Amino acid sequence: MDSSLRKLYPWFTFLGLLIGGLVLAAFYKDQHREWKDWQHQYFKDEIARAATPEQRADAARLTLDVRQIVVPELDRVDRCTSCHLAMEDPSYAGYPQPLAYHPNHDRHPFNKFGCTICHQGQGRATTRDAAHGYVEHWDHPMLDMNYIQSACAKCHLPSDLPGAPLLARGRTVFEDSGCIGCHKLNGSGGVIGPELDKVGANRSPEWLLKHFKNPALVTPGSAMPPIKATDADLNALTLYVLSFTGEPLSAYYVSMKTIPGPQAGRRLFAEKGCIGCHSVGGKGGTVGPALDEAAKRHDVQWISAHFRNPVAVSPGSVMPQYNFNEQEIRALTEFLLSLTETNFVGFMRVPALMTAVERGKATYRKYGCAGCHGPDGQGGVPNPNAKTAQQVPGLKFVSEGYTRDELKKRILDGQREIPSMDAKRPPAPLYMPPWRGKIAEGELSDLTDYLMSLTPKGEKVDF
Amino acid sequence: MLNRLWKTFRSSQVGRSIFRVGLPESNLERAQVAVSSFFLHFQPAKVHRRSLKFRTTLGLGLISLYLFLILIATGVLLMFYYVPATDYAYQNMKDLEFVVTAGQVLRNMHRWAAHLMVLFVALHMCRAFYTAAYKPPRQFNWVIGVGLFLMTLALSFTGYLLPWDQLAFWAITVGTSIAGYAPLIGQKLKFLFLGGHVVGESALIRFYVLHVIVLPLVAIMLIAVHLWRVRKDGGLARPGAAQPAQEDFAPAQVPVTKTYGLMELARGATPAVGVNPDEEVFTWPNLVFREILLFMATLAVVLVLAIFWNAPLEQIANPVHPPNPAKAPWYFLGLQELVAYSAFWGGVVVPGLLVTALIALPYIDRKPRGIGIWFAKERKVAITLFSVCLGAAVVLTVIGTAFRGPNWSFQLPWKPVAAAVEH
Repeated sequence: MDSSLRKLYPWFTFLGLLIGGLVLAAFYKDQHREWKDWQHQYFKDEIARAATPEQRADAARLTLDVRQIVVPELDRVDRCTSCHLAMEDPSYAGYPQPLAYHPNHDRHPFNKFGCTICHQGQGRATTRDAAHGYVEHWDHPMLDMNYIQSACAKCHLPSDLPGAPLLARGRTVFEDSGCIGCHKLNGSGGVIGPELDKVGANRSPEWLLKHFKNPALVTPGSAMPPIKATDADLNALTLYVLSFTGEPLSAYYVSMKTIPGPQAGRRLFAEKGCIGCHSVGGKGGTVGPALDEAAKRHDVQWISAHFRNPVAVSPGSVMPQYNFNEQEIRALTEFLLSLTETNFVGFMRVPALMTAVERGKATYRKYGCAGCHGPDGQGGVPNPNAKTAQQVPGLKFVSEGYTRDELKKRILDGQREIPSMDAKRPPAPLYMPPWRGKIAEGELSDLTDYLMSLTPKGEKVDF
Repeated sequence: MLNRLWKTFRSSQVGRSIFRVGLPESNLERAQVAVSSFFLHFQPAKVHRRSLKFRTTLGLGLISLYLFLILIATGVLLMFYYVPATDYAYQNMKDLEFVVTAGQVLRNMHRWAAHLMVLFVALHMCRAFYTAAYKPPRQFNWVIGVGLFLMTLALSFTGYLLPWDQLAFWAITVGTSIAGYAPLIGQKLKFLFLGGHVVGESALIRFYVLHVIVLPLVAIMLIAVHLWRVRKDGGLARPGAAQPAQEDFAPAQVPVTKTYGLMELARGATPAVGVNPDEEVFTWPNLVFREILLFMATLAVVLVLAIFWNAPLEQIANPVHPPNPAKAPWYFLGLQELVAYSAFWGGVVVPGLLVTALIALPYIDRKPRGIGIWFAKERKVAITLFSVCLGAAVVLTVIGTAFRGPNWSFQLPWKPVAAAVEH
């Protein structure tokens, strides 16, 4: 054979060994996966914990597998249980992760919900960092447990959820702060700031929190005034805003929102005029019994049956039969139950019982006026370069400068151009949006009454 | 022991039916093996000594072929997992990474081999230019080569979309919009490629079918013709080889000095004709062994890349969130850079002229000078012109790849400018 060929032999050997080595390396890298270590660990634990020979035999039969929960309705494949193996085993309660037991899953079975619908992260991933979402190119890392209640709002109405108090609190802060005055949510709200429909999916909790404390810090040039609230309230607000994910879910999950809860019951309660005969929180009629403690006196079956036909369970009752449908009955029952649970005076305020000024105050809150004009029209919200002392004017003294009709016109038409203090600087960012077509006639009237009532008695205008 | 087993097998009825010649032991058998084996018959029984020298071609064409073979092998395996639907494509990538045995390494191999193939086909083309291998009689093989270069780009570009991540989506959006700048037919062409006005489900299925069936078939055909022509045009270009006056298929008129089989007579200028036989060596084993070594080296490099570097995968495609800047695949970034100056010049004129010039090249520059010689002095003008164009393409590509930040503004690669946060 040609001698030139001989010098090729070492190359054959070298490259052959190199390729063999590389294939082995690739195979090792592919076979060595984090979740296998955790499963081995779990198997060992299981065998060690086995008390009887049968249990030991069961433990020994466990096989190394990628475990996954496939939820086609949520378009999810969650492989979290490949490492979190003891989710459903209460005997692992209090164990360190990943082998801890997951409490409270009786109403949210894993096979129907998976994991990432609430916790976020990357369900398909099988390494710790990738699965928890702390990797590049994954936008939804696991939700901080401090904010986990925001996930409830994907399927539930925040107001109907006694189990998620922070969510309800966040909603209150959201309404009190008047966010809706500038921002649109689910199609209603102002136009000065951006829409909030998907903001929870696009922003991190840290960003939101910073933003609420000082908007211009994270969004240079933002005209939004900082939100004045306690840290706990800002946290609750962050939690609530995180729930605006705009995630389309299938009917089964969203239907939770339409299942009548206490909120719907409260509305029915007001509409049907129950307050004419019954009292709540000391207000209302005296023909029927007070309802504050009704749920303590009777069980759920009794209350439902009572709504169906009062005489059937309460002989001699003079309460008329309303022919409620089953959904309405459920809503009203939930409402009565909630009265004993929440003992929350504002919650049971029904418009019919309120004065015009009180209703106006609710309207002020509903349309987010406080976002710019401050709580109770106190003003003080900065509006750089506005002629009015670089602030959005307060409303305490509108009664001195406007008649009722002028004030109504002003609310309906708004004011796009805000006079500048210094013509050379950019115009003031905040302006009064027109509310024509958005606010109802009755609401407008109530609001005007409320605004007129703000002037403190005996104080003089001092400007 | 192994040797004995092999001999027993070879002499059995089955063995004889498979291997006509067997491992050749005499020169006659070495000649026979090249002619009678399907896989070896692309090459003549004997080749010029020069063909064995690495310096002659740097192995660039073969490396391109090997990369193509690696791509076919890994690509077919990937097809078992891939569903060309926008709902599944990205999830398939995640499954390959996280649960499919060797899925990630397969995808890495496919990705890196694809990038390498674009690179090596381009280098192979440069080699053919700088050694004047496109001069008669190899003009048309150069044209086929240009076709293969375009085919490689098309294969890589169509494959780019398939993972359906942000990188894929926006690269294809940018790439096809460059095609849209062509006058008159541009927008129609774009519509034809995408099956719509934007990248979506129909674009994905179109790119998939092109990527796994149409383009590979065309490429295989062209490669077969390309290789066949190399042989029929007298093997690798080398200085002093007899230049055929015309295509001549009549064996009787050829002064045959030496033949190894009927196939050697098919053409006037066979490597064997008019050449000192001492300069010729048997293809088996001299050439074949070297070719196998080169394949092993190519495979090793691809494996190293695939083991240590993962193929990129960004967020799932999101048509309302373009990255800033959105970039085409790297081999089109030179064009995108030009498009940034002028859509018409960068998107239409320059690429059109380049392809036309490449195709016309062997018919314009046809004086038989410097054939088979690297950077022949007699070809100063041609070499300078080509080098300037090549340099410009490289510089533009590098600028587009590394020096362009948000809004296509200039940036230094080691000091990237952060994209402005959107509100």
